[in-house]
Amino acid sequence: MHNVIEVRDLRREYVTQKGWVRRKKHVVEAVKGITFDVREGEIFGLLGQNGAGKTTTIKILITLLAPTGGTCRVLGHDTMSESKEIRGRINFIFGGELGVYRRLSARDNLRYFANLYRVEPKTAKKQIDEILALVDLSDKADLRVETYSKGMIQRLQIARGLINDPEIILMDEPTVGLDPLGARMLRDVIRRLKSHGKTVLLTTHYMYEADELCDRIAIIHDGQIVALDTPKGLKQSVKGNEAIEITVDRADPAALDRIKALTGVKALTVKECETGEIIHVSYSADTDISGPLLDTLADSRVVSWSRKELTLEDAFIILTGEGE
Amino acid sequence: MNLRVLASTMAVQMKNSFARPGIRMCLLIAPVANTILLYYMFQHSGRADFGMYVVLGAGLTSLWETIIFSSMGDINRERWNGTLCLLFGMPTPYPLILLGKIIGNTVMAFAALVLSYAAAYILFGITLTVNSAWLLIAALLLSGVSFVVVSQFTAYALTLSRKIVIYMNCLNFPIFLLCGFAFPIETLPSWALPLSYALPPTWAVRMLRMCFAPAIDLALYGQYALILLGELALFGLMARLLYRAVDTQVRVHATLEVF
Repeated sequence: MHNVIEVRDLRREYVTQKGWVRRKKHVVEAVKGITFDVREGEIFGLLGQNGAGKTTTIKILITLLAPTGGTCRVLGHDTMSESKEIRGRINFIFGGELGVYRRLSARDNLRYFANLYRVEPKTAKKQIDEILALVDLSDKADLRVETYSKGMIQRLQIARGLINDPEIILMDEPTVGLDPLGARMLRDVIRRLKSHGKTVLLTTHYMYEADELCDRIAIIHDGQIVALDTPKGLKQSVKGNEAIEITVDRADPAALDRIKALTGVKALTVKECETGEIIHVSYSADTDISGPLLDTLADSRVVSWSRKELTLEDAFIILTGEGE
Repeated sequence: MNLRVLASTMAVQMKNSFARPGIRMCLLIAPVANTILLYYMFQHSGRADFGMYVVLGAGLTSLWETIIFSSMGDINRERWNGTLCLLFGMPTPYPLILLGKIIGNTVMAFAALVLSYAAAYILFGITLTVNSAWLLIAALLLSGVSFVVVSQFTAYALTLSRKIVIYMNCLNFPIFLLCGFAFPIETLPSWALPLSYALPPTWAVRMLRMCFAPAIDLALYGQYALILLGELALFGLMARLLYRAVDTQVRVHATLEVF
């Protein structure tokens, strides 16, 4: 399989200026020299927190932003100087409720975008019906988008992203705000695209989504790629670490801080559950933290305690150093 | 040029624009209000042809307001709706999409001229006599083209900036004054005249007025048409050059979206 996306030492800065008389320049380095390739037909994930540089990278790839440095090639063409050769062969989906005309119906939106993508009217008509059925909007297709729920608008966005039958589809946090059914539908769509030989690049900060869908993942942190591998490979890369999950009635913030400070602890996350809160701790395998951990939680009622397999989230937190 | 893209953009634009109360106000209420205002301003002017100034002045002012608030305001709206970056990222060239939008708005905005005449006739009994229907059609067509070209040129410049609303308001009255929508430009101070002459709508307005004069000087009409066509070609060329800069600069400065 050959590379359809090639990114080399990509950099992007945003410059803002403030003040009227003595203008102050403020430079934010959003992407700091990242390098990666995406192979034809794979689902590639860019995993990172908000502000990590994922959206900037996607916008450069879809030809909407100029890189400050480095090169970026999509389907063999430079995204800045050869954007015309790229645009008709790719499409993109942004998460959220923007990117559609609210005063038009879903069908009118899709018809218009099909025209802009120069899809033949006959093909477009057939394609629009199929895509509307795929995103489960057929029965509401002729209603104005302003009457739609947030989830429906996002599904329409997905439909718009498929309208030109793109070779590469780039998705920026496509499931943000989608209900569980909508998110599952999108994951099915992504898998179907892969089975049709399409390449998908998606950004997300949902670990399970990346773990479930992606063939390879680049973990991006503070504008830099800190790891790039298969989900399994990423989890293996933090081998030598283990995880414990403790369910308590209530996690005291001070106790959580003390756990984080324990020798060997790499990452800590807390999630709510029916019986209280689940504290997930990953730690260096050569350290026995069970004793100090229980001492720290002496004031909480421990409901359950178990060792766990390391998750992608553990790997992410350890690799980005966010748990420290 | 892809006519299907142009036609669908025009249709979408008209649908979107007319659905907005602000544009309906510009299109349906403003021509009537402007007609009433200009009638009371001009009724004691002593000019026999003041009716023409009322109808054309009110109609063209409303037409320009509609174009400016829909075409140019639309860039900002698209930016906030997250659709501007989509349009820019299409395989269809952005200038063609923008052209479709502006033509759509201009076609729709011509209703303002009709409404101004209807208001002047119903409220004040003003009637206009056309000395040549063909020359009027030609003048209307050239007026439309001149508004489209000026709007396209301005819209490119405004794509570069997020402070578009300020500039949009700044553009409303200068064009109204400099192009002499409601009065002969000779009444302007002499330093302003070169600016007036440099704007294509000035010549289009003169041609329109000639069509309602008792007699038409064909040579002068032709001369105005030639100047207008020359200026349109120049504006078209400048717009082309400007777009080259816009195409790069919006991507360098990330102005397609609101962050």
